[in-house]
Amino acid sequence: MYLTNGIVIGIIYAISALGVTLIVGIMKVVNFAHGELYVFAGYFSYYMSVSLGLSPLVAMPLSVFLVFLIGLLMEKALIRPTYGDDMYSLIVTFILSIVLQNLALLIFGPYPNKPPNLIFGATNLFGLFYYGNQRLLSFFISLAILLFIFYLIKMTWFGKSIRAVSQDREMASRIGIDHYRINMLSFGLGAALAAAAGVILSPIFPVTPSGSAAISLTAFVVVVLGGMGSLKGCLVGGLILGIIENLGAAYISTMYRGIFGFILLILVLVFRPWGLYGQKT
Amino acid sequence: MLDVKEIEIFRGEAQILWRVSLTIQEGEIVTLLGANGAGKTTFLESVLGVHHPRSGEIYFRGRNISGINPFDIARIGISSVPEGRRLFKDMTVYENLEMGAYPKRARSSLLESLTWVFSLFPVLEVRKKQIAGTLSGGEQQMLAIGRALMSKPQLLLIDELSLGLSPKITKEIYETIQKLNKEGVTILVIEQNAALALRYSNRGYVLETGRITLQGSSTELLNDEHIRKAYLGM
Ligand SMILES: Nc1ncnc2c1ncn2[C@@H]1O[C@H](COP(=O)(O)OP(=O)(O)O)[C@@H](O)[C@H]1O
Ligand SMILES: [Mg+2]
Repeated sequence: MYLTNGIVIGIIYAISALGVTLIVGIMKVVNFAHGELYVFAGYFSYYMSVSLGLSPLVAMPLSVFLVFLIGLLMEKALIRPTYGDDMYSLIVTFILSIVLQNLALLIFGPYPNKPPNLIFGATNLFGLFYYGNQRLLSFFISLAILLFIFYLIKMTWFGKSIRAVSQDREMASRIGIDHYRINMLSFGLGAALAAAAGVILSPIFPVTPSGSAAISLTAFVVVVLGGMGSLKGCLVGGLILGIIENLGAAYISTMYRGIFGFILLILVLVFRPWGLYGQKT
Repeated sequence: MLDVKEIEIFRGEAQILWRVSLTIQEGEIVTLLGANGAGKTTFLESVLGVHHPRSGEIYFRGRNISGINPFDIARIGISSVPEGRRLFKDMTVYENLEMGAYPKRARSSLLESLTWVFSLFPVLEVRKKQIAGTLSGGEQQMLAIGRALMSKPQLLLIDELSLGLSPKITKEIYETIQKLNKEGVTILVIEQNAALALRYSNRGYVLETGRITLQGSSTELLNDEHIRKAYLGM
């Protein structure tokens, strides 16, 4: 049961981390505002379904799309002028995360909110225990998103041009790839992945504006664990972190749930600083 | 076909090219010679739109292309083989070739171009599933040329064609270049090996510390006193 929980949460961590790793891999930009985008998506989906009365099935993709647009806008207005200066882009996304966090506090208030469940009840898994249907559904939605992203990156022109740009930006432009457009779309996609994790996880763990830092951190831990820029690393890293957190919380103490991730992170940094699937440089 | 008129190029604050002019007629193979650091790569990258001239213009088929982005230049039929190949090393041979056909007008004839490239360089077909970074130097150069051809260019710019290659492979590649040219691709070659390049080209230019100091037909240049001393070591 704890293992199942770990796998379900781990997959969602993987989605969130994919959002970070995509942007790091392609643009060499670390998006500190990642957690805030997650929180915004959680609140969007809450207000759309609770205040506007939309079905969560509509509210969820709509919130993700809205955050995707915000991501495009952020890249165009704020990140693009910083290209070529990694330090400056770090500062910009860091400031952005603070501004967005306060904005969320201002607009949504400090109280945790929880969008309605998509589905109720529980299912007996493997004849062993009952598991919440909401969590099961979240798992399958996340899996579908993950497969879609892998397909996108491996098989489509867009995905291949993303890989080309991340390997050699100038050469990519010399074969006809509009790398400005690729940057904008991949930043949007990164934001959308943060949002996807947000709308999927918020019915399980309610969102608060102050929770965003922890979300960014979790995503960064997974990225470092798996190896910068590696998609497979995100999946494996997410699963490992999800499982360790849940087993740790169950058998040692819930108080220290967050600590296990950090212990793992430190171990990885000491023994394999390029991550599980990253490349030594 | 290509008409470069008195371009001045800066990289950062440093001026690299001074009033450089160069023309290429349709169907020619033209060589650009010059010592290390003369500005040959900078010149090629300027035609590709990587550096923009501070003054002067570049015309391609009558259209002023100075100031245009590299990705737009790739789309109008100018393609390049960069110094050091610059393959997408983590991708397969096949994917590298596929990426060469990225411009929209090239995508519809991707399979046709692939057959063409495989007929020019059969070894690429054998290695098509291999990761590009694991190819030998000669194979990498063939792949870099193949990738450039996948966009069906009218003008092909090649930087340091023979650098790091064995004489045998170099000769093979030059034969292929000549074949390509007969099939209608106009070519500019940058080369350290002056004797070889001039043997395969119609005309040549000499670039010395950012200025064109000499130009003429390949036979003229091969017999030129200064060239014989400085570039042919005679
Ligand atoms: N990134 C750069 N920034 C500034 N100057 C450069 C850069 N790269 C090369 N240069 C300078 O430009 C000049 C021409 O270089 P390059 O075009 O590479 O010459 P070549 O290809 O003929 O060897 C050299 O003096 C070199 O030092
Ligand atoms: Mg050079």
